[in-house]
Amino acid sequence: MNPLTGLAFAGSAVVACLAWASWVVWAGALAASLVAAAKAGILRRVVAAASVVVVPFALWALVIHGLFFPEGRTVLLEIGPARVTSEGLAYAGAFVLRTASLVVVMLAFSLWVSVPTLRAALVRRGAPAQLGYVLASALGLAATVAERLQRIREAQEARGLIVRSGPAGRVLAARLQVVPLVLQLVDEAGERGAALEARGYSLPGRRTSYLDEPDSRTQRVVRWALAVVCAGVVASVVIPAVVGVLTGARR
Amino acid sequence: MSHPLTVEAPRRSPLRTTLTVLGAVAVAATYAFLVVSQPADVANGPTAAGALVALTGFGIAMVLLFAGILPSLPTTTLALIPVALVLNIVLGQFVGSTLIPIYLDSIGTVLVGFLAGSAAGAATGLLSTLVWSFFNPTVLPFAAGAAAIGALAGLAARLGVVRRFYLVPVAGLVTGFVAAAIAAPIAVIVFGGTATGATGAVIALFRAAGQNLVQSVTTGAFTSDLPDKLVTFSVAAALAYALPRRSTQRFEFVRRHRVLAGAKHATGQRADGEAATAA
Repeated sequence: MNPLTGLAFAGSAVVACLAWASWVVWAGALAASLVAAAKAGILRRVVAAASVVVVPFALWALVIHGLFFPEGRTVLLEIGPARVTSEGLAYAGAFVLRTASLVVVMLAFSLWVSVPTLRAALVRRGAPAQLGYVLASALGLAATVAERLQRIREAQEARGLIVRSGPAGRVLAARLQVVPLVLQLVDEAGERGAALEARGYSLPGRRTSYLDEPDSRTQRVVRWALAVVCAGVVASVVIPAVVGVLTGARR
Repeated sequence: MSHPLTVEAPRRSPLRTTLTVLGAVAVAATYAFLVVSQPADVANGPTAAGALVALTGFGIAMVLLFAGILPSLPTTTLALIPVALVLNIVLGQFVGSTLIPIYLDSIGTVLVGFLAGSAAGAATGLLSTLVWSFFNPTVLPFAAGAAAIGALAGLAARLGVVRRFYLVPVAGLVTGFVAAAIAAPIAVIVFGGTATGATGAVIALFRAAGQNLVQSVTTGAFTSDLPDKLVTFSVAAALAYALPRRSTQRFEFVRRHRVLAGAKHATGQRADGEAATAA
């Protein structure tokens, strides 16, 4: 599938989750994303990555709104200053479900998509070439930076670095690792900049990509249809809201 | 006659400046809408309009700013941006998992702002949010705040704040104030005022004291953002001074506006430089 078709599906699901404040829509988007992730063979990775984001969010939503919701009237339980109300639980549940569906939709896309193909597809359609370079370069660098930190730590330990207990010791240890990392990365960035410049990177004009981009007439039609429907839905929600604020009307 | 590759490509144009200005206007208009339309009573749960206007407005602003800023950046700055994004993500992921009420997720953005100016700082903030959203999509609605942090860091550097090191924490506090003011309504409208870690604890504390959600989230945002940006600006300035002069002087912005003061202490750098080389 073309990465832009995947992006169109993910974008449509995000618009649906935001445009209709309904548990059915959120649960539907969540289920559809999980099914798509399972079909693409990335279900485990999506669930693991989403759990890292959604579980702490859900726990804190329950602490903040489940225990302390002064607007709540139906008290279910009272423990000291904490009041568990059904309104607070419903409020927390709604935001957790909406956030979970948005997170799973977007992670299913980002873990499925091939970044180089997405980059080529965007640049081919007129996105600034610089955007593609920065996205691909940052994602590639992020994958190797942990290994670099490990090597710097080993180099510093070989020179006698000992992480002492207490905040001062940890700050010193962090400084001795982070500063060399930054120096190394910035120095490399300078060399990379010169290399890119020498290859005419800053010159204007179209770029040729050697990456093949799978596409079909059906996909193009689906993408345009989704884009038009999403634009209509967004306009039907945003325009009345903006007009309402401008005219001071009560929503 | 010079070779085509050595000719400086036209970086600034009226069209790009217009796009950048329109992007900034879109951010301001969206923020104004969120503040004006913020519901006093939040007990009804998520609504359609607020979150969709926020994402649409900031999304349009992001596209305009990318189209206006990215092609105008010199290659040296472009090559530095991925490094800044990685620093933001690595340090932000680490601190975000602790119970310290700061994020430290914008050190790279502020560093680029110091070395390459407001436009590069704003672009780095936006791109950082975009890349980070590949791992954690909940950061995406806060892209406008990240852009403002980078832009203000560049402005501070241009005004000579980094040259007078004692002013750096003040610039950090001002930026923290702006960042908190931008983030609070977004946190309420998109996430219902839910935050994790120490910021979440502050919000819970004020909710327990009976404050309304908007006040609690705003207090939580200021409690986190003011110290966070103070530390972030100080660390980024220290890093800028720790860099070898040949690295910092590559940036036209640093040379033109004399961002950094005096010569650096060679001895302090040597150990770090050696470690980087050895690693």
